[in-house]
Amino acid sequence: MQTPGSVAERLDRAVDQLVAGARPGTAAAVAGLDGAGRLLVETADRFRLSFVPVPVAPRFEARLGARLSGVTPSRDAVGWALRHPGRLIVTGAVGSAVGVGVTAYAVWRSSRRASAHRLRHR
Amino acid sequence: MTDPVGRAGASRPRGPGDPDLVDVRASQTDRAAFGTLYRRYLERVYGYAFYLLGDHHDAEDATERTFVAALAGIGAFRDEGASFRSWLFRIAHNQVANALRSRGRRSAASLEVVAEPMSGSADPAAAVTAADEARELRRALAMLSDDRRQVIVLRFVDGLSAREIGVVLGRSEGAVRVLQHRALRELAATLDHEGPRSAV
Repeated sequence: MQTPGSVAERLDRAVDQLVAGARPGTAAAVAGLDGAGRLLVETADRFRLSFVPVPVAPRFEARLGARLSGVTPSRDAVGWALRHPGRLIVTGAVGSAVGVGVTAYAVWRSSRRASAHRLRHR
Repeated sequence: MTDPVGRAGASRPRGPGDPDLVDVRASQTDRAAFGTLYRRYLERVYGYAFYLLGDHHDAEDATERTFVAALAGIGAFRDEGASFRSWLFRIAHNQVANALRSRGRRSAASLEVVAEPMSGSADPAAAVTAADEARELRRALAMLSDDRRQVIVLRFVDGLSAREIGVVLGRSEGAVRVLQHRALRELAATLDHEGPRSAV
């Protein structure tokens, strides 16, 4: 796999040329690829051209920049909640269920203690 | 290199010189200097996350976690094997992997339905053609295995070399070249099978 001159290595050399701005035909020729190898270089070039830069939302860039510079101490909790309402609902539901469970257990324990206390003093 | 992502890079091959090293050293003593690295890599890390996650909000989350982890760990970065950018993308790679795990392996579906970023063409007909081409390529990309897709995105979105991708993925440079070869062969076969190619 690491042998100099293997197809994978020559293809990688051709991709290096593409990334540096060469045309597919030139890149393939420089790397010594033809036929099937050249088709792979053309495929690589199609993908290279299709990945246009993705614009970053200015608001996000500013918020993260502020956070990294220490201006904002923590992430925007409200923003997180708005972006992930499902997680917020699940968190609330789990919290409520735990609360109900703990209360029910406490009521059950206290009623048992009260009845045991009454039996002892009869 | 000691890093916050759980791997040592000391045994990795060195590049011809890390162009970010001056800014990295400055960031290690002055937190404000990290802003230079942040501005340099924000769009590329974001693009990497977006093309793998297929969603702007998830990409923002992964990008934010990446830079926060990088800032937290930059004091421990040592110029002992890998470049700063491969170290940074290694962190981004882990954040993207976490995001994919937490959403339950919906990456391929997301990539297929991803809204294509604007190509910047002034000609509406050319813009439509470019969007159609991008959708076709994205569908083919979504059919690749995770490691092959990672190689293609890191190579063409972020311009990383095979050596740097090896650091990011924890593979040898040779293994990355083989992954790239197989990925391009599979993509060419998929595109050929789906129909005639539009003009290159």
